[in-house]
Amino acid sequence: MAEFIEHDQLLHAARRTYAEGYRNIDAFSPFPIEGLAEAIGHEHTNVPFVTLIGGMIGGLGGYFMHWIAMARLYPLNVGGRPYNSWPNFIPITFELTILIASLTAFISVFIFNRLPELHHPVFNTPEFSRASIDRFFLLIEADDPMFNLDRTQTFLKSLGAHKISIVESEAEE
Amino acid sequence: MNEQSHQRIARAQWTALLVGLLGTAATIVGAFVNTKQFFFSYLFAFLFWLSLSMGCFAVTTIHQLTGGRWGWPTRRFLEAGFMVLPLMLVLFIPIFFGLHYLYPWARPDEVGADKVLHDRHAYQNGLWYIVRQIFFLLVFIGMAARLRVWSLRQDATADALPTRRARFISGPGIVIYGLLGTFASVDWIMSLELHWYSTMFGVIVLIGQILCAYAFSVVMLALFKGEPPIAAVLDKTQYHQLGNLLLAFVLFWTYVSFGEFLIIYSGDLPHELEWYLHRIAGNWKFVLAAVAAFHFFVPFFLLLFRAAKKHATPLTTLAAMLFVMHIVHTYWLVMPAFHQQNLAVSWMDFTAPIGIGGIWFAFFLSRLRAAPLIPRHDPGLQFAFVYAEP
Repeated sequence: MAEFIEHDQLLHAARRTYAEGYRNIDAFSPFPIEGLAEAIGHEHTNVPFVTLIGGMIGGLGGYFMHWIAMARLYPLNVGGRPYNSWPNFIPITFELTILIASLTAFISVFIFNRLPELHHPVFNTPEFSRASIDRFFLLIEADDPMFNLDRTQTFLKSLGAHKISIVESEAEE
Repeated sequence: MNEQSHQRIARAQWTALLVGLLGTAATIVGAFVNTKQFFFSYLFAFLFWLSLSMGCFAVTTIHQLTGGRWGWPTRRFLEAGFMVLPLMLVLFIPIFFGLHYLYPWARPDEVGADKVLHDRHAYQNGLWYIVRQIFFLLVFIGMAARLRVWSLRQDATADALPTRRARFISGPGIVIYGLLGTFASVDWIMSLELHWYSTMFGVIVLIGQILCAYAFSVVMLALFKGEPPIAAVLDKTQYHQLGNLLLAFVLFWTYVSFGEFLIIYSGDLPHELEWYLHRIAGNWKFVLAAVAAFHFFVPFFLLLFRAAKKHATPLTTLAAMLFVMHIVHTYWLVMPAFHQQNLAVSWMDFTAPIGIGGIWFAFFLSRLRAAPLIPRHDPGLQFAFVYAEP
């Protein structure tokens, strides 16, 4: 894991690392850096698609509840309007679309990120607490196909890292 | 701006003026063929181009107050757009001669026979209408001219005072825009119907104006993206931000338009329904369906995708579509008051917007030529260059 002092150093290093062929990498910074997610290869996630499915279930479900209650099971004449009086059903349909879509997005972010995960080996590195204050970190995982302890360390050094540390996974202990 | 593009804009300006004059001449012939149709076509065309200028004013004040990287490359297009307002005041004059063709409250026999129109007569009469329109337009021309003056003075000095002055106008400016715009929408369109009123209507008109100005500025960016000063600051981020703004205003427009309809549908009162009954009569309902499809559904779903917002071609296509749909929407607001039973398209519905539009563009391009394409020394401009994506 390499430590950087400036945010554009991290961004630059992340782009170089990705270009070098490393894929299993992660970056940590105290604030969002524009373009960093793309730099470490986070081009595509499944969250939007799952959210779309959630939104469609919410919308169709919301309309279906109105329709089954107002037009089929208990037809109610409201001021001579048709039983399936769609304009009146839109607000709830819309609200349920948003509700289910946002809940799906929230839950799927948790699931795809394998949260809650209470501990991660990077916390074994003492300096890492500064990732939420004023330092920027780039992590290359050991199970990356390109990973080689010496070569990766030399490479990270060549990127101008302030400090390089080796993160030990607890499983090996 | 270099000499070559200067000449290119000058040529476009003369072409626009020629097209505009030809269109206007044809429309004037129409005035003697079918006077009532002429006034309605003219009102529709005039209101569309006026709404573009008004929208440019509103968007400029929004950017002066909130900033955002989308605003600096588009600023000069918006400024040139609202500097056409003095022309719009002149083009308003023909409408003053045709009020009794357009508005029920301007026909004495109808006012005499109708209690509501009679009671409204103290406010809704020809003289007051003309006084109000001149007042509205003069207020907007005054604020717009000041915004432009401060923006140009900022070009000449590194001191931030002119931008502070421009912001000082923009705050009250956007409030006055909302207030006077609501009154104006009552005069321009709402009172075309006999008794109809809706408190949401002013908002629908104003949001439409702002949406139209955003769409217009995206199209202008696409046309001028090769010019060196604009190419230097333009990247995916501005398109992304403008795409998000288009999405937001498409949603806002849909929200207020549908909200108005839902309330009137639920209320089911005769004096409120007349508006919609004329606007779904006969083939008008297909115009409404097209507005719902291409002013909401298609742009809404496509603008959800980041790929459609970050790239010039899809975003420009969507913006051009929204711009055209805003013309159709204005047509659908104005024209059913005349053709109440069915859609009836006249050739003047084409010559009038082309005529006014040509003259509008000639003025717009002459204003665009008068200043650098990117404002200089604006204190926020530094942010336009940082974080540029590769």
